[in-house]
Formats: sequence, C-alpha cells, structure tokens
Amino acid sequence: MSDSESKRIYVTGDDEITVYENNLVNLKTKDGQFFEKLEPRRLFPVSKASEYITLLDTDGKEIAVIRNLKDISKESYEVIAYSLNDYYLVPHITKIISTTEKYGTLHWCVDTDRGIKYFDIRNRNHDIKVYSDGRVRIRDSDDNRYVITDYRKLDCHSKKQLMPDL
Amino acid sequence: MDTNQFILKNKPLPKAAEPIIEKMTENGQHILFVIVGDLSLKGKYSETALIFTETDVTTFDVSVGEAKTIPYSDMKEVQSKRMYGNATLSAIMPNGKREIFFRYTYAVAALCDAAALFISHINEGAELNEEIAVMTVTFERALSVCPKCGRTLLHPGAECIMCRSKMKIIKQLSKYVKPQMKLIIVCIILSLITTAMSLIPPTITGFIVDVVFPGGNGTSNVTVLNKIAEYLGSDSGKLLLTMISLLLATYIFQYGIGIIRAYLMRTVGDKAVAALRTDIYLKAQYLPMKFYDKTSTGSVINRIAGDSATLQQFVLRITQEAVVHAFQLVGIIFIMLALNPSLTLYSLIPVIFIVIATRIFSLKIRPYYRRIWRRWSSVFATLADTIPCIKVVKSFTGEERSADKFKTKNDDWLQMDLKIGKLATAFPQIISFMVTCGSLIIWAIGGSKVIAGESGYSAGLVVSFISYAAMFYNPVTFFANLSDSFQGALASTEKILDILEAEPETQAESHVMPDKLDGKIEFLHVGFSFDRTKKVLDDITLTINPGEVVGIVGTTGSGKSTLVNLLMRFYDGYSGEILVDGHNIKNFDLSGYRAQIGYVQQEPMMFSDTIFNNIAYSNPGASVEDVIHAADVANAHGFIARQPDAYDTMLGERGVGVSGGEKQRLSIARAVLKSPSILIFDEATAAVDSETEHLIQEAIDRLIAGKTTLMIAHRLSTLRRANRIIVVDNGKIIENGSPDELMALKGKYYKLVQIQSMTADAEKMREEERL
Repeated sequence: MSDSESKRIYVTGDDEITVYENNLVNLKTKDGQFFEKLEPRRLFPVSKASEYITLLDTDGKEIAVIRNLKDISKESYEVIAYSLNDYYLVPHITKIISTTEKYGTLHWCVDTDRGIKYFDIRNRNHDIKVYSDGRVRIRDSDDNRYVITDYRKLDCHSKKQLMPDL
Repeated sequence: MDTNQFILKNKPLPKAAEPIIEKMTENGQHILFVIVGDLSLKGKYSETALIFTETDVTTFDVSVGEAKTIPYSDMKEVQSKRMYGNATLSAIMPNGKREIFFRYTYAVAALCDAAALFISHINEGAELNEEIAVMTVTFERALSVCPKCGRTLLHPGAECIMCRSKMKIIKQLSKYVKPQMKLIIVCIILSLITTAMSLIPPTITGFIVDVVFPGGNGTSNVTVLNKIAEYLGSDSGKLLLTMISLLLATYIFQYGIGIIRAYLMRTVGDKAVAALRTDIYLKAQYLPMKFYDKTSTGSVINRIAGDSATLQQFVLRITQEAVVHAFQLVGIIFIMLALNPSLTLYSLIPVIFIVIATRIFSLKIRPYYRRIWRRWSSVFATLADTIPCIKVVKSFTGEERSADKFKTKNDDWLQMDLKIGKLATAFPQIISFMVTCGSLIIWAIGGSKVIAGESGYSAGLVVSFISYAAMFYNPVTFFANLSDSFQGALASTEKILDILEAEPETQAESHVMPDKLDGKIEFLHVGFSFDRTKKVLDDITLTINPGEVVGIVGTTGSGKSTLVNLLMRFYDGYSGEILVDGHNIKNFDLSGYRAQIGYVQQEPMMFSDTIFNNIAYSNPGASVEDVIHAADVANAHGFIARQPDAYDTMLGERGVGVSGGEKQRLSIARAVLKSPSILIFDEATAAVDSETEHLIQEAIDRLIAGKTTLMIAHRLSTLRRANRIIVVDNGKIIENGSPDELMALKGKYYKLVQIQSMTADAEKMREEERL
C-alpha cells in the first residue's frame, strides 16, 4: 500500500459535508478533522457518475474520496449532488430533432434536459461514442459534452437520425 | 440597429438585449464589447449577454429578462473557471463572498478568459486602449473559426474549406481524372466502336430466323442483309454459313477492340487512384500534430490504404464499364425503336420498377455502409494499436485479452456485414427477376401478334427483340448496382476528403527566414490548451539569450514538453507570442525554421532503413564523412563500427536491433548533422542506464557548444551544464534563475535536488553494501 493510499480518507455516513460557497464544500470527519474549500470531482465522469468522487483542495490535492454516493448521509449527498451538478454540465439528449450533414460535419438540433441546443459535430467517427449498454456520448466542435442515456429508448424519429452512427 | 453593428461581439445580439444596449448608449455609456453567451446561471440553455463598458459590466439573461450591472471596482479576484462542459466567471464582491456572475459553455470560454483578465487589468490601472486591443485580437481569433462548421480557418476571415461548394467531392475526384483526358477520349471512341459491333448480332439472328430458316416470312427490313441474300440466291446453306461468318467477324472485332479498350481504361483508373493516394500520403505528412492527437494512426493508414482501394475499384468500374454501358443503352433503344416502337415501349415497363427499386435500395443501404465502415475502422484501429505494442501485451500475458477484444470488434463487423449482406445480395436477384419478366412480356405480346399475323411482326423480330432486351437490361442492372459501389465509394471519399481537406500546418503569408538564427528565444504571455478544457500553459513569459543552456524541470504533466512543442511549432493554436531572434515564429517559413532546430526526443524513433540513412534523415545531402563525423560527435561511431553491417545495418521496425541508448545516440547524430542553431533535448537520457547516460552526456556537451539549448530533464544530473534553470509547475514558470540562485531560494528546485541527491546517496550506499 502506498503512502497516499494509506492516508486517503474515505468519506462515510458519519462524516459531514456542508456548503462552503458555490460548488465548494467543507468536510468534517467524525474524528474531528476539518477541511474547507474542497471541490468534489468525479474520478470516473464517463463510466461511474455516482461512484468515486474525489474531494480536492484549492491546490488540486486530494483530501478525501467518496466511494459511493449511497454511502454518505442524506444531507451530505444533497450538497455533493448540487456541487457535481454545478461542475459537470453534460446535457442529457432526450430527442434528436434534426441532423444535417455536410462533408462529414454534422449539424444537430436536439432537445435536452437543459433546453434546445444546436451544435456541430466535426468528426462523427470520433465524436460520437456508442457504448454497449446503450449510452451514447457526443462531443461538439466546442468540446462540450452531451449524453444519451439509452439510445434504444429514444423515439423512432430520433433513433432514425442516430442510426448511421450506431 | 445600426449602432449594434459596430459593437465588438462574437455573435448577433439577442433581440431582448437590444433595448438595454440602446438605453445604455442613451445614458452616454460607451460600450466596448459584448460577449453573447449560451447558458443561464443555473446551467440551462438560454441567450445571455455580457456587456462591457469603460467602468462596469452588465449581465443579461433572456430567460430572466433582467439586466444587472456591476462596477469593475466592486469586483476583486475576477476568475474564469473552466469546469466540465461549462465554465463560470466569478469575483469576490463587496460582501466578501465569491459570486458567479456569468455561466457559459466552452463556445465562448476563450473570450471569457480574456474578459476576466480585462477586468483585472483595468482594476490594476492598466491602459484601457491596450486592453481593448487585446480583446479585439481575442475576438478576431474567435471569428477565425468557421461560424457554420466550427473548423478553424486557415487565417481569420478565410473561406471555410468544408463549407465551400456542393460539387466538391466530384470536383476533387475529377482533378485526378483530368490528366488522363487524352486516353479517356481514345477509350470513348473505342467504346463507341465496340458498342456498335455488339448491336449487330441480334439483327443477324433475326434475319436468320425470318429469311434463312424455312417457314419464315422470307423478307427482312435490314437492307444490307437483303442485298446479301439477293446476291447469294436461294442457297440457304450458303446463306447460313455467310451469316455465321459475319457473326464471327463481328465478335472478333468487338472483343479484340474490347481488350485494348479495357487495358487503356484500367491504366486511366490506376493512374488516377495512384495520384490520389500519393496526394493523401503527402497531405498526411503536413497535417498538424493536433490532427494526429485526435485521429488514431490506424484510421489514417486505413484511409490511405483501404479507402483509396475502394475508390480505385469504383473509378475502374466507372471508367471501364459505365461508359460502355451508357453507349449500349442509347444504341439499343435507338435500334429497338427503329425495329418496332410499340414493342419497345412494352419491354421498357420493367425499367420503371427497376429504377424505383434502386432508389429505395440506395436510401436504405447508405447508413449501413457508414455503420460497416465504423466497425471496420474499429477493427483496423485495434490492429494498429496492439501489434506495435506487442511487447506490453506479452509482458502482461494479455494475448488472450487482446485476441478477445479483436474478436469482439471483428464480430461486430461481421454482424453488420451479414445484415447488409442480406439486403445487398437480394437486390441484384430481384432486379434479375424483373428483367426476366420483361422478356416474358415480349414473348407474350410479340408472340401473339406473330400468331395473329399482324403486319410488321415476325418470328425473327421477336427473336432479335428478346436479344436486344436482354442486352438492354444488362446496362440497366449495371447502373442499378452501381449505386451499391457508388455508396461505398462516397463513404470512402468522405473519409479521404477528411484528410485532403484538413487544414495543414499553417504557413505564414510572409516567409521570413534569416540564413542562420542567433537563437534568441522569447515567450510573451503564452497560453495553450489542447482541448479547451484544461490550460496546459498559462501566461508564460520567458527570454532565453543566444548560447544559453537552459534546463527545464518540473513534474510530469507540468507543461515542460508542451513549451518545447510550441517552440517547434507542432501546435499553433496558442495565445501570446513566441519570438525567435525578434521574429514571431508564425511568420517563419515552417520547414526552414524547423531545419534550424535540433530535436532529440526521449524515445527516438528510427525508420526501417540503414543506420546511415537514419542519421542522414536530417540532412539527406550529407556526405559520408559528414555522417561519420556526426556519429563521432554523438559517441555512436564506435558501436556502429562493431555491427557486422556497420553503417549499412538495417534497423527493423521501430529500430529493433539496437539498444535504447544506442538509438538515442543515433538520434543525437541526426541532430549534429543538421548543425542547428537551437537544440532541444526532451528527456534525452531518461530511459538509459548511468553508463550510457555518461556517453550521451559527453555527446551532448560536444554538440551544444555555442548553441541555444533547451534541456528538459527529470534527472537533474543531466543539467550540470545548464547556466539557467526554469521550474515549470501547473503550466506556469514558478522559478527562473541560475542553479545557485535557485538553491538559495530553497523553493521547488531545491526540493527536487534534495530528493534526488537523497536517492543518489541511498543508491550509493546500497552499492557499497553490495561490494
């Protein structure tokens, strides 16, 4: 076991997480240690959204890790969920309204949980990733990310638009 | 809104923001620039605006409808923070709390970064005009991205290559066919002849049935044949023999010319595709590193090898068969109409169905071709990724795992190919069925008219019609199936154009290139980010004088190598300026500039070529003795001479056959041969043992005399010749000075020296214990 691993604090239900400001949080462990201005970040932002959340201090040093958001108290969970939601903006595409293509650049109009959005995909082969569980992750020309939770559950029209890239 | 037109902005202003701006202008406020954003503070899509005046900033969100003005003087520590998919501008407000006042996606992140600096600089008392000038440049750069497709343009205001013209695919391809125009014309003439020849036999067979055979109607409407019959008299045997000879002569002529034509056509197609392939390869050489960071080498290789082969087949089909078939089609219709117009119309009935079926089919199959390509490309990428890494695979006994991974990808491809196979194979059969039905129509209608003894109808006519109809459907099915290979070719062309049309490394319009650089290097406020999510370099300002030996240290990922990559102009999308000898390096002729830099990498790459050619790669015109001298300087001559084939030793793929340290010395020899003005060593000794390091170090010492040298190093012992050390951390220079000065500073460098000397001591102790 390396040094950093032996010192790593895993947050449990007995530890307390509160808001510092904006998306920053404070951590008070059950043995009385107190850390402030921590930024919760996902260690697996693509594959595990609610597991392995790291808490970084202002220097980017890891202070603690939450193994699973289910492990912490309800109050702490709400603070973390708010913070993560603030930090990670990955709109969920609920409907693909239209797709047009010109020489490999796709222009999409989609409806998301954050509203309607138009964006461009430069390279459909690299910027649209389909996972075996039905998830689709999309990156637009500005490097913003979008996700389709399960393409199999989309409506017919949307599925048809997505079909060539599956 | 005339006034709005002149306001510096990244996008048209939201309609709802116009009254606010109008009011501000009426109140005598001078609006400097506006950033039009896309997110509400809560992270929902919205139309927002950030309006900057000389003294304050106004935020406006369409979804909220209210504007809020904050004076610059109320904002402390203005910060632009890039998060994941969104970013924020915040400041410490008079209440002492950090408040977020603007949220946006990465689309405007570069502008907001600059805006944060703008406010900070104004608060620090900077000259307003200068700051506005900086913002103007940032806005211009924001506009150097095509508003339609988002691709970076060659230079601000340039026409976007991707959005230029609709006929581009055809135009691009015709560029490769044009040089073969003369040959093509010859081929077309030959095609006309063969087509005409192929139209003769059915007429002769019709004549045989009607005139030669007993029971026929004894006449034919083909004058030439009638004359022959008259000349030969009533001898049916002789007449039959003549007709057969005529048929044979026609066939010989037709197929003889066919061979020549096919050969010439093949030449045309091959030449066009070879030229195209060379072009793609050439283009691939000049693509910026940014392209290769995003595109796997496997997929680039696939495009040069695989897609151009698909295209080759297509071009061959088009040039060889399509031309012939097109002529045939026209010729047959012409003859059929001349023979019997009404029967012609009947036999055309299935054509309508064939055309409709083809259209439906091509629409249905196109997405599948893309899906197949996607899977095939993924299979190929797995290949290209794992075979070169076979050592890693073996060392972790991952053979089975990588075979499994390959199998999964390959199975994926198989499934999709089988799926499309059903469609693709059923289609030609259905078309053939329709064609057969067409001949049934001729039998039924033509046959019944012959029986009824209608004038103009004879058994011979029906027989020749059946032959013509069969010949007629041949080109029709060809064109119907052509859509199949056309779709494949189109998908491939798209991929190829992706390379051909990708922006190459940017070349300045004015090429400045002094014969020899002195080697003064200046970084002025340089910032860089690979993917806009994380800044790799942040506001780097640095001056290196000619002849200085500068060591760059820092932890992994601190941005050291990026610093050097920017200097090498592997990436051009940075902010700020890099000057060499007082010239912006973007204004230099790229190849001339790089020729003046010797670059020695951590893992030197060797080509599968001889040692001599590998060294001489940096200076292909070098004499034998120059190369030997370079090898001498690099401490490489000794081991080269010991190889059985010495300088003629072939290095295998990736330089198999020489050790890491030897390869490193070869790559130093390469740099020596170039006699550059600036030398860059990127962890040149990181991967070798101490003894080899000593040899390499010696070589480096000889090489750097009098040259501006940048040395990136983990092992600080490598830097003993450095007269200045720069410590890079998190994309910033945190320490800069002579080794002694930095030791006295007791900062990061001091710490690194301490740690390394401790390790060195420990190693020494262990060594002594062993002895």
